[in-house]
Amino acid sequence: MQQVLSTRILRVLACAVASILFSPALVPAQTTPTAPATIPAAPPTYREITDETGRTVRIPQPVHRVVSLAPSLTETIYALGLQDRLVGDTDYCDFPPEAQQKPKVGGAINPSLEAIAALRPDLVLVTSLNRMETVRALEDLGIPSYGTDPHTVGEIISSTERLAEVLGAPEAGSTLAKDLERRLAETQQRIAPLPPRRVLFIVWRDPLISIGKDTFIADALQRAGAISVIDSSQSWPQLSLEEVVHQQPEFLVFAESHSEAAPPDLDALTSLPGWRLLDAVRNRRYALISDAVNRPAPRIVSAIEDLAKQLHPEAFVEKQPGDKEKTDQPNAAPPGSTSSAIPSTRFAAEAPAVIEESACAC
Amino acid sequence: MSSSTQTTAALHNSADASRSGTEIRLSVEQVSYAYSANPSQAPLFTLEANSFQARPGEIVAILGPNACGKSTLLKLVAGVLEPLSGRVLLNGFVTHSLTPRIRAQRIAMVQQESPLLFPSRAWEFVLQGRHAYGRALRFETDDDVAIAKNALAQVGAEHLSDRWMDQISGGEKQRVILARALAQQPLLLLLDEPTLHLDIGAQVDLLDALRRLAAANRYTVVVVTHELNLAAEYADQVVLLQRGKSLRVGPPASVYQRELLEQVFQTPLSVELGSSGRPRVSVLPGT
Amino acid sequence: MRVLTLGRLLLRCGILAVVLFAVMIAALKFGAVRVSLYGLGLDLIHVLLRQTSALSSDYGMIVIDIRLPRILLAVVVGASLSVAGTSFQALLRNPLADPYVLGVSSGAALGAVLALIAEPHLALSPALATLFTPLGAFLGAGAAITAVYFLGRREGQIDSDMLLLVGIITASFLSAIIMFLMTTLAGRDLRGMVFWLMGDLSSSLQPGLRWVLGVGFVLATAAIYTTASDLNLLLSGEKEAMHLGVDVPRVRLVVYIAASLLTGLAVSVSGAIGYVGLLVPHVMRFIFGSDHRVLIPTAAFGGAIAVVIADTLARTVVAPSELPVGAMTALFGAPLFLYLLRRRLA
Repeated sequence: MQQVLSTRILRVLACAVASILFSPALVPAQTTPTAPATIPAAPPTYREITDETGRTVRIPQPVHRVVSLAPSLTETIYALGLQDRLVGDTDYCDFPPEAQQKPKVGGAINPSLEAIAALRPDLVLVTSLNRMETVRALEDLGIPSYGTDPHTVGEIISSTERLAEVLGAPEAGSTLAKDLERRLAETQQRIAPLPPRRVLFIVWRDPLISIGKDTFIADALQRAGAISVIDSSQSWPQLSLEEVVHQQPEFLVFAESHSEAAPPDLDALTSLPGWRLLDAVRNRRYALISDAVNRPAPRIVSAIEDLAKQLHPEAFVEKQPGDKEKTDQPNAAPPGSTSSAIPSTRFAAEAPAVIEESACAC
Repeated sequence: MSSSTQTTAALHNSADASRSGTEIRLSVEQVSYAYSANPSQAPLFTLEANSFQARPGEIVAILGPNACGKSTLLKLVAGVLEPLSGRVLLNGFVTHSLTPRIRAQRIAMVQQESPLLFPSRAWEFVLQGRHAYGRALRFETDDDVAIAKNALAQVGAEHLSDRWMDQISGGEKQRVILARALAQQPLLLLLDEPTLHLDIGAQVDLLDALRRLAAANRYTVVVVTHELNLAAEYADQVVLLQRGKSLRVGPPASVYQRELLEQVFQTPLSVELGSSGRPRVSVLPGT
Repeated sequence: MRVLTLGRLLLRCGILAVVLFAVMIAALKFGAVRVSLYGLGLDLIHVLLRQTSALSSDYGMIVIDIRLPRILLAVVVGASLSVAGTSFQALLRNPLADPYVLGVSSGAALGAVLALIAEPHLALSPALATLFTPLGAFLGAGAAITAVYFLGRREGQIDSDMLLLVGIITASFLSAIIMFLMTTLAGRDLRGMVFWLMGDLSSSLQPGLRWVLGVGFVLATAAIYTTASDLNLLLSGEKEAMHLGVDVPRVRLVVYIAASLLTGLAVSVSGAIGYVGLLVPHVMRFIFGSDHRVLIPTAAFGGAIAVVIADTLARTVVAPSELPVGAMTALFGAPLFLYLLRRRLA
């Protein structure tokens, strides 16, 4: 009986084999990147560069075709105006919206080597989001990878500048860098006289995860006139609510998640047992900024400016010729730091606003 | 390698000789053993200075109450355990010093079976008995197949050949297991409580078969049992064991003395002469 | 009475070899990038004739440099895991045994995690850096194998029940340590580890490592195969096997070391791909019976086929993203296991 069964199964297998071999018609069409029709004929020259992770990389010159394996790098390339050279990016590269039209190579952690190779890039750009295995596999195929790893906002700017230089467009880099520095300096000027707000930046609510002190997000907070109450060497420390209650941050900062349709339900926080104990929750002292703060790209400066406005609104009142001098004076009376601030306009309709008397005399 | 081939050859020759002759084949000489759970503790039980001998074609019954050391004595005979003192000789060779492979060619042990993990067919099962005769990575030869078929025939189980082992009755399984032992073409056939799970009819069938096979193939059979009457009926020699010591060795008539049996089994008994000429033991229920 | 003969064995292996070949061709064809069967055939012929410059298209390089090594890796890993699973099921006399039950994969994972933690602090040459994680994994596996062996002995010999218990406990203990370490690792390493823990065939191997893997597979499988008829008898019971002439301590030792070696090698290069080592032996037993002289080679082929198919699915289902191979094997393996389990009970 067993022999009959085994012959039957073997016969089935044989049919399966035959159908596999003769079924190219059954292959579903994949959305695949296409290779270029021609390849540059001249043999490329090379340049040796040390990337931000300390690796020495041999990059062909000039760089025509680039694949980005992180959303922040895609944004940076668009910000530098070099998007014509971008031939492929990840599924998650969604800003600016045009980036979504670029050929996709998969996720950041699990990109398809084939898809990258089929695009014949001169250079692949990676960050700490990507795995070393991917970088090594690309090396084995003869495709160099350039890695960025900024830990502060200043490093983001210099990294952007260096990236432009690597791609052969140094002027774009220095122009962008100067503009970003200028905006940061302006913001800095406005909030310099004011004491920084003690905040908790919430990456995830349950479990409660914040950011560590060595991250660029922590640095961005500082640039926005805030300081994280969490002092941890881990990048994404998981916290207990008790500790946060002990610290009593003045503000809770949330990054808008573009994957969720509605803004986070912050009202609900007031009804949750532990959260109620936070002054920031009781007084609705929330700051909601765009998720650009999560990406080490030029757009983070916008998020910094936005956050600064929410945390120190008194420093950003509507500019009238006279006001500018007032805020420039280092001895301007600081607003009462103990009182609560006006919540963000985005959800002013929902939360009962606690309006405090503005100490600003304007 | 050469010493084991010498041993095989010597055993082979002695096997042929001993099947026809009537010399002593099995000699258990002053064998003792001690077992303790812990090396530093005193031994839990001991076997002391047991001796008996057996010839081709004889059936020896090792008889005694539970936990008297019967199975241990059988294992010592099989060469699986090493005696503390004394020795067990099979055609002059110490059983314990044989390699497992050669031992399996000369001694077949029929134990209470463990449940089969992945059941096989009866013929596959019996063919396992030929394992000791082949090299690694070999396939069974026609000879092996013939011997296996013959073994099944000898126990009257040819009709079970294609059946699955987990789909036959207890008695049928016992016969197939015996066939496997026969397929080893042993000199010595050892059985540990083979009648435990069988009904009386099956018990008689099995022992009849053993007697027949011992005579036809000149096996020496050693059976461990606590069944007084079966032992009396079928054994040529009985070794009566109490707490590790053999109180008496000899034909049933000489061993089955009422006082002796009562002492060993700790219960009132009566011993008579049965219709077959062998002793028959009856129980005397307590009040 | 249909006895196993060499002819029957070769026939079964031959059929499975053909199936494996067809599956490999299909795997070469499917992927994130389209490849035509005809072009593929030409490319393969060019490669065989060593005319690499004549490869027909850019895709030729993709297929030969990316897909082919990956498929070959899948073949060796799948075969290793299945043979190891078959061996452990026989050694431990337990149908639920898989290659990881004795803690080998947990040891390898711990070794890999420690290597990941240590690597940034050591200035390694690029060649050594690629080897570092697989090496750490293999050393971790070796440590687990040794520890379990010595703990699982009784009276100086491997005791199957003891071994199983010790192995399970060691596996959980090591997993707990791994989890502790993973919560203290930086974010990037964590993501990489998740992929490794689920099984990942995308890492490229250096030629030296490929040789080690291939030679190790052949040697270990050959060693196990020499005990194939002994394993048949072991399944009747260890005492019975001994009485039938099996040198049980020697067989146990050989099988334990060889099967652990197979598992350690496979896990070091591809992470812990689940269900293959558990299920493929059962499926092959269902089709071909439990004679290990047939079971071991057919399990090897079956495992290779299973992992190649799973890997092909993993890299085409959500192309161009890739899923971990272990997710695919679990997805199909778990329902299949339930089905087989219920059949046994029925």
